[in-house]
Amino acid sequence: MKSATERGTLPRRLRKPETVVLFVVARQTFAIAAGAVQEIRSTDSLAGAATEIEQPLAPKVTHYFERGRQTYYVVNAATHFGLPVTRPTLVLILRQRRAAVLVDRIERMTEISSLHALPLAFTGDERRWYRCLAYVDDAVIPVVDPGGFLTAAEIEALDSARQSAEAQRELEGAVPS
Amino acid sequence: MAQETTSRSSFVLLQVGGQRFALSADVVAELAPPVKLHMFPHTSPSVAGVIVRRGHVVPVYDGGPILIGKSSSAQRFYLIARRRVGKTAEFGAIPVNGECELATGDMNPPPDEHPDYVKGTLAVGDALVEVLDLDALIASHAASRQAQDLPEERQ
Repeated sequence: MKSATERGTLPRRLRKPETVVLFVVARQTFAIAAGAVQEIRSTDSLAGAATEIEQPLAPKVTHYFERGRQTYYVVNAATHFGLPVTRPTLVLILRQRRAAVLVDRIERMTEISSLHALPLAFTGDERRWYRCLAYVDDAVIPVVDPGGFLTAAEIEALDSARQSAEAQRELEGAVPS
Repeated sequence: MAQETTSRSSFVLLQVGGQRFALSADVVAELAPPVKLHMFPHTSPSVAGVIVRRGHVVPVYDGGPILIGKSSSAQRFYLIARRRVGKTAEFGAIPVNGECELATGDMNPPPDEHPDYVKGTLAVGDALVEVLDLDALIASHAASRQAQDLPEERQ
């Protein structure tokens, strides 16, 4: 039998602690780098600005909104992670991404000083969803990859669906009544 | 004079749901005491969750559905063993009931019609205990779960 130090699987130590936001979706806690979040807003504040969208390739996205010259697709985190769908109250608008993420609540911000690689036993979508794992307050919490909420193919399909819908609306608006 | 072609090997005997199985002692790292099973969303069918042992995150494989026809995750101890994942090796844990013992003997060939995860048998007293191939067991579980999940559409 080998001791832990012989296993060669030491966690990655960070030079500087990383600040993360802990958020909850369907009773499951996740972490996201604080630097990856541009803004946190209530879902109510988006109600007037969001437009519905339907795209079979990305059923987790039901709305989009414009901000500046950027279009953000609203991803339901519960659907994305295969969790029971809840009533999200907050939306995390991601920095330098085209996704805004619906979550139930923010738990808190905290600093993590060590990260663990996702074991190779995990071979599914989670390899795209998570950057790594963190051990916080006696709990293993997945640290999400902000780029994992929408793939390039999903964004392309959503862009296409949105442009078609907008063209249709313009056409309908141009028809004299 | 006949030359002896087999050497006696060491095995760890474990119990899953009241049935005894064996694993080659070479791949076994330790028997871990009851610790918290941490779970988070994922789509890997053979993984039940992870445990933290000596500061390391170790994936837990539930072999119960394949070995005894039901989940063994209620068992509270974990046998931590080394398995190959691609070109590298990684530790994984199997839930067991804690009654593990070391046995020495010659592994005999498996029965004629045996599952892929049985790589041989070991005579222990009057009983023949199946010697498990951990990698094949995990692959069997994953294949079985994927076959079950096929008709359903994942949300």
